[in-house]
Amino acid sequence: MVRFENVGMRYGLGPEVLRDINFHLRPGSFHFLTGPTGAGKSSLLKLLALSHRPSRGLVTLFNKEVSTLSREDLPGMRRKIGVVYQDFRLLDHLSTLENVALPLKIAGAKNDQVYQHVAELLEWVGLGRQVDAKPPTLSGGEKQRVAIARAVINRPQLLIADEPTGSMDAEMGLRLMYLFQELNKIGTTVVVATHDLELIKRFGNPVMILKDGMLTTRAQDELPSQFSKDPA
Amino acid sequence: MIQFFGKSAELQLEKDVSTRYLPVVISAMIFLAALSIGGLFSLSNAISDWSETLTENLTVEIAFDPVADLDKKVADAVALLSNTPGVATARAIEQEETLLLLEPFLGKNASLGDLPIPRLIEVIIAEDSAIDLAALNKKLAEAVPGARLDIHRPWLDKMVLLGRSIQFLAAGIMLLIGCVTVIIVIFAVRTGLIMHAEVIQVLHLIGARDNYIAEQFQNYFSRLSLLGAVPGLIVAIIVMFIFNFLVGSLEASMLPPLTVGIEGAIALLLLPLLVALLTKYTVRRVVLKSLRRMM
Repeated sequence: MVRFENVGMRYGLGPEVLRDINFHLRPGSFHFLTGPTGAGKSSLLKLLALSHRPSRGLVTLFNKEVSTLSREDLPGMRRKIGVVYQDFRLLDHLSTLENVALPLKIAGAKNDQVYQHVAELLEWVGLGRQVDAKPPTLSGGEKQRVAIARAVINRPQLLIADEPTGSMDAEMGLRLMYLFQELNKIGTTVVVATHDLELIKRFGNPVMILKDGMLTTRAQDELPSQFSKDPA
Repeated sequence: MIQFFGKSAELQLEKDVSTRYLPVVISAMIFLAALSIGGLFSLSNAISDWSETLTENLTVEIAFDPVADLDKKVADAVALLSNTPGVATARAIEQEETLLLLEPFLGKNASLGDLPIPRLIEVIIAEDSAIDLAALNKKLAEAVPGARLDIHRPWLDKMVLLGRSIQFLAAGIMLLIGCVTVIIVIFAVRTGLIMHAEVIQVLHLIGARDNYIAEQFQNYFSRLSLLGAVPGLIVAIIVMFIFNFLVGSLEASMLPPLTVGIEGAIALLLLPLLVALLTKYTVRRVVLKSLRRMM
C-alpha cells in the first residue's frame, strides 16, 4: 500500500526536514504518527498526500512509484487518498454540504447520490443541522468534523489525518476515532498524526515516531510520557 | 452554453476585485477594433468602386486652340472613338456642362468664352473588352491634333495605394488590439491564479484535474470578455452611424461613408464571439501552463 525507502525531503534549497525515512504500511493497517513539534510530521503527511515529491528516495503508493507518475495520473491517485488537514482547508464560500460533497462532485458522481450520501455522513458527524452553514460560522470542532467528512466521503483507500481531534472535545474526538476505526475495518489504511499520547495509548495501534526528521517505530509500552517542548 | 456561462463554483472568481474592470478594458478594445474593421471594409469597398468606375470611364481632352475649329475636332474624335471596337459610348461634354464642373473653382459668373478651357469627351469602355489604351491614345493624337486620352490611371493608382496603406494600418491596429487584449487577460489570469492558489491546491489534493480548474477560469474570463465586447461593439456601431450621418449632412464627397458591406457586418457581429474565444484559448493555455508548475 505505502512504502518509503530512504526518503529525504527538503523545501527548496533548505536543510532536509526528513532524512532516510523507511517504512511500509500494509493495506488495511492503522498507524499513529507522532513526535515533537517541528519533527517533520506535516512534511511526511505531505508526501503521503501527494502534495509534494520527495527530494530523494522512493515513495510507492498503491504499488506505483510516485516519481514515475505523470501529471495525468495524480488526480486518480489522490482520489484514493482522504486527507484531514490540521488547518481544515475548507472553502469558506461553500456550505458545509457543498464542502463535503466536493470530492464526489470532482470525481463526477451524480448530484442526487452525492447529496444523499453527504447528508447521511453529516448527520453521523453531528452536523445534520448545519448543512447550509458556511465554515466561517462554525466552531473549530465543527470545522474539523466537516474536514473529516470531506476526507472520508469518497471511501478512500488511504486516510491521512493531521491532528484530527485537536479542536474538539474528548467525546467527539473519540467518536471520530471510532469512525476511522470503522473505515479501517472495511479496508481503509489509516495514518493519524497526533500529539495526543493518551489517545494513542487508548487505541493501541502501531506508532511511528518522528524526531529530527528521522523515523522510528515503537511499541505502545515504549512511548514517552510526553515530548520535549524543544523540537531540537 | 450552460457550461460556458456557468459560475466558477469553487474558485468564486466572480468576487475578484482585480477582474472587475476587465470588461471595461475589453469594451474599449472592441470599440477600437470595430472602428478599424469599419474603416478596413469601407476602404475596401471604396477602392473597388473607384477602380470599377475609373477603369470603365475615360476622358478625352482636346487642348484649347483659339484658331482651330474645336467643334470639328470634337466631332472627329467622337466619330473615331465610336468606331473603335471596345468603346461602348463616346459623348462630347457640352460647354455648359464643363462650366458646371468648373463652377466650384471659378464661380457662377465666369464667362467660358474668355477662358482657354479644353473640350472634353466622356468615353465609356464596354464590359470585358480588352482595349489597348496606349494605341488608342496614339491613334487619337494622330487623327485629332491636340487630343489626349486621360485614363485616370496615375490618379487611381495613388488613391489605391493610399487606400491600401490605410487598410494595412487598420489591420496593424487590429493586431495590436488583439495583442494588448491577450496581454491584459494574461495579467488578470495570473493575478487570479495567485489569489486563489490555496483553493486550487485544495482542489488538486482532493483529486481535481487541471482541466476542471482551467474550465472555471476560462468560462469566467470568456464571460467577462463577452460582457465587455457587446457594449463596445454597440457603441462602435452607433459611432459609425453618427459618422455616416455627419458625412451625409456635410455633403463631404471626399470622405466616403462607413459602408462595411455584408462581409464587414458579419466580421463585426463575429467580433465579440472571436474575442470570447481568444480569451478562452489564452486563459486555458495560461492556467494549464501555471498549474503544471504545481505538484
